[in-house]
Amino acid sequence: MSGTHPLHRVAIVGVAATEMARQLDTTSAEVSLRAALAALDDAGLGVADVDGVAARWPGPGGTVFQPGSADWAEVFGQPLRWVCDTYPQGVPGALDAAAAVAAGLCETALVFGGQAGVMGGSAVADYTRPDNEFIACWGSLTAAQFALVAQVYRHRYAPDPEQLAAIAAAIRNAGSTNPAAVMAGRGPYTAADVLASPMVAEPFRLLDLCLATEGAAAMVITTAERARDLAQAPVAILGGGSEWHRQQYVNPPRYDEVWGLGADAARRAFDLADLRPHDVDVFELYDINTYEVVRQFEMLGLCAEGEGAEYLWEAGIGTDGSHPLNTDGGLLSYSHIGWGGPTLKIVEAVRQLRGTAGPGQVPNAQVALVTGAGSGAQYHNVMVLGGG
Amino acid sequence: MEGPTGELEDRSLRPLTGEFWAAVNRGELVRPVCNDCGQSFFVPQFACPRCQSTNWDYQPSIGRGRVYSHTTVHRPPTAAFTAPYVMADVDVEEGWHLLTWIVDCEPDHVEIGMPVRVRFVNGPDGHPLPAFAPAEAAR
Repeated sequence: MSGTHPLHRVAIVGVAATEMARQLDTTSAEVSLRAALAALDDAGLGVADVDGVAARWPGPGGTVFQPGSADWAEVFGQPLRWVCDTYPQGVPGALDAAAAVAAGLCETALVFGGQAGVMGGSAVADYTRPDNEFIACWGSLTAAQFALVAQVYRHRYAPDPEQLAAIAAAIRNAGSTNPAAVMAGRGPYTAADVLASPMVAEPFRLLDLCLATEGAAAMVITTAERARDLAQAPVAILGGGSEWHRQQYVNPPRYDEVWGLGADAARRAFDLADLRPHDVDVFELYDINTYEVVRQFEMLGLCAEGEGAEYLWEAGIGTDGSHPLNTDGGLLSYSHIGWGGPTLKIVEAVRQLRGTAGPGQVPNAQVALVTGAGSGAQYHNVMVLGGG
Repeated sequence: MEGPTGELEDRSLRPLTGEFWAAVNRGELVRPVCNDCGQSFFVPQFACPRCQSTNWDYQPSIGRGRVYSHTTVHRPPTAAFTAPYVMADVDVEEGWHLLTWIVDCEPDHVEIGMPVRVRFVNGPDGHPLPAFAPAEAAR
């Protein structure tokens, strides 16, 4: 890298994810703290080194935004130089923290969050039920909002159901072999298993859709200079970008507006990285559902609109394929911890680039792509990470 | 819908959106129309999303449109809803769109592009909602 762009003067030096489960017997703040301390430990740093925090933060200067809001300056026993009430975490949290470090607003930023003790016994998580007066009255849920987009795609392009189901099966099978996954040991799954699972909101069946689980994730970002002396080989933020279309889950997402969401962010991210999507060794994409995976490969320009399922069928998305995808089992099978879920993508990407990802390790992974949210959420973000 | 204190809230008294619900209670469909640029928009916002004017009013809608997209929900978010039901994004002729249900039609018969007309039905809380039905089936 040239080293002249501000983002290239920072590095991700620590990552952590806690135990993941359908329900954890703790609170969001506690599980978030556990992830934060583990990420510092991973970096070889301590609480005293932290002078920036991106987390749920009640103030001063923030809002009480549940779950997991806490006075982190008080919890860490020291004042902070930079705080960010980031929503969501993952790529936007990392880019905000990286910008703050690059600008010298703080030196070492901790980005962390998750949820615990919030998932009741109900069929769907509270946060998947949009609380808007023009949405809630119709019995909408997040999956249905994404389904409105997928249905137009299906109407126009009639993708092969087996090729689509094979994507969900492959990601779930990566989760089957990841001991940390909520769905560890389940499966293996075939495309036929996915197609035989109950319909939730057409075209999505149960096994097309992500989990709603509990746990927390964290990352530590500091200057490239400081990173040289720390415990882990630093991971570089080669490029990144976001697109914010509109508030999620209020006006229904429209295929013609959102199917390409992220293309502009990706273009900016890859330009900054001086790379192309073909250079990516491992993809950690936001797999809210099967169609979103297809959408993102089309959005990246790796195949034409309407051809994503066939493209991935031929390219291969396992660790031996040309596009290794969601190597930890993704949101479908590893875990999806609500607003902290996007950070899990970065945790796995960093481990891939360090070569410590476990059973899903892609040999010699040098470039990783991380994304967050998607068409139904009406925002998307992209980050290109590099090892060494 | 319950208010913060648990009592049944009068939705026609809500700021910004009360007039929409009051019309629905009378069996009428209305939408915000900008008095400066003529744009119809939805959901109601304090300013017109085309010209940012705050000078807008609710006006009656023709209540006809076409299905932009639809999904049949088989697993409702709460026990208040009975599956299956068809959620749809309907393009209304005046150039606005809304999330709604398609009723009076077998779920498998709903199609993208299908002409529909507003048809008021009662939601799970007993209050009327502006659903849509196939145009030929509407009365």
